[in-house]
Amino acid sequence: MSVTLIKPSGSKIAPVPKPLVSRDCGPAGCEVDWLASRRHEAELDFEGFNAFAMEKGWGDGLPLVPPTESRVRMFLSENDRYPDEVIAHLPPSRAECTVEKIAINAVMAGAQPESLELLIAMVAAIADPDFELYGINTTTAPVYPAFVVNGPIRDELDIPYSYGCFGGVATRANAIGRAMRLIMRNVAGQVAGVTSQTTFGSPGRLASILAGEWEEKSPWSPLAERRAGMSGNAVSVFGTMGTMNVLDTTSQSACDFLEMIGKSVPYVAANCYTPAMPFAEMMVAINPICAEIVGREMPQIEDVQECLWRYASVPADLLQRQHREQLEAQGRVREDGRIYATPEPKDFILFVAGGLGGLHATGFHSFGSCLTQTRAVAAVEPAAEAQAAE
Amino acid sequence: MTLGKVLDPTSTRDDDVASPGPDAGVLAGRKIGFRLDQIWRAWDWIAEDWAAKLEAAGAQVSFWRSCGRSGEEGERMAAELKEWLGTIDMAIVGLANCGSCTGWTVRDAITSANTGIPTIAIATENFRAFAHEIAARGGRSGLRVHVLPYPLNEQEIADVKAIGEAHFDAMLDDFGAVLEMRDAAE
Repeated sequence: MSVTLIKPSGSKIAPVPKPLVSRDCGPAGCEVDWLASRRHEAELDFEGFNAFAMEKGWGDGLPLVPPTESRVRMFLSENDRYPDEVIAHLPPSRAECTVEKIAINAVMAGAQPESLELLIAMVAAIADPDFELYGINTTTAPVYPAFVVNGPIRDELDIPYSYGCFGGVATRANAIGRAMRLIMRNVAGQVAGVTSQTTFGSPGRLASILAGEWEEKSPWSPLAERRAGMSGNAVSVFGTMGTMNVLDTTSQSACDFLEMIGKSVPYVAANCYTPAMPFAEMMVAINPICAEIVGREMPQIEDVQECLWRYASVPADLLQRQHREQLEAQGRVREDGRIYATPEPKDFILFVAGGLGGLHATGFHSFGSCLTQTRAVAAVEPAAEAQAAE
Repeated sequence: MTLGKVLDPTSTRDDDVASPGPDAGVLAGRKIGFRLDQIWRAWDWIAEDWAAKLEAAGAQVSFWRSCGRSGEEGERMAAELKEWLGTIDMAIVGLANCGSCTGWTVRDAITSANTGIPTIAIATENFRAFAHEIAARGGRSGLRVHVLPYPLNEQEIADVKAIGEAHFDAMLDDFGAVLEMRDAAE
């Protein structure tokens, strides 16, 4: 056997945004009742609704905004999508994820109407069969989707890409990540102990990771452009086991930094070495200070990937015999006697983010079978402006 | 207290097959397939022993091993599974012994059952309820599931084989199967 390489499936849907619907009879302009979801009578005050939502299994334990008809209609009226548009069928149930369901969950999470097109792109990305949401939703692992946003929408939605961008910074964009998690729960049906067997879970399963790439500080082209040839607003989703900090207070050259990061990636119980899956990806966020140093010596991102990849391996005999035998059977032990974290250098997915204090990189190990997806975000004109123009 | 209407944020599928599908019936002379995976040695050992018993009873046995789930590899697996299901009369699908592998086991079992052939999924006790839940969400709440003890893969080979031996007849019962015609007559 030989190493199984990561190649996208041939049946992929072209990752382009769906054209927005006509404004002739949109949700703001028709008297038709577009909302098809079941109505429940509930107390609308804070305590009453949140108790109701928890009893219904809708919540994550944090306070929710009651998704009243008026709030959902208001959310939709700021956009140009019909609520019955099916964006995806999400596993394991393959239940329909409509614009209406996205809007309801976004309202509950406290997300702003301006986030709808990003949320739609995020849902479309995780629904790609190559993302393998089925495994993510059912596994004992703590895996969750982490989203990296490119384009001006980062600033429009206050998506963080500097200090604290992977968690902790105060921004309303946190509600977008949470909305995604509620969609995973309420539509995809990822409920710990019921449909998800996650042993420990992860803080990322509460509000996800939603960060931007600090494109302006990157010596390389934006992630979405490198991955999918998309300029402008786009989102990439990576199925991650969580964040792994890499501290380097000593290195000075590009190679030194990359050696430190690369050697920190492989450990024998990382998902990249599970026999359950034939391959894995690895995402790495490089801070702007380090990126500048690396970029001066390596203006081609492929050289950075190659350098990291060469360091990110373990000698096969580091693994216990029974573990090694399973990987040998899969052809994953190379001629040099080492097992590499990813099949090829291209499977290192790199982007620039983080505060200007430098010193740290963040690694994100993948689940294995879920392959990173990138989707463009459809452009939206505020309905009021469009109507005024007419 | 203010009452009002709120919209339901959940989405579920409406279709379901509550039937377990056809009984396996008499196994002698039939083509029986075992679905294996890349992770559970214990399931390999049990499947090999059960296969030997079935062959001794006059059945033909084949194995198919599930590998990658995504990309070209996933497409290849899906095509292989479809082709393999076309060569067998019934399928024994395992092993539901973790989260994702229960999902994948049940998904492949549903694919098999949806072709109309008798199908049974094999799960370990800890993942019994989960296997039924995932089957229901996959549109086949009636999927047959035979349950082995848990933990299983952590046990020595001799102990695992003893478990397989002890469960063989019960698995046949759950499958609606008998080894030979004379068994059916008894």
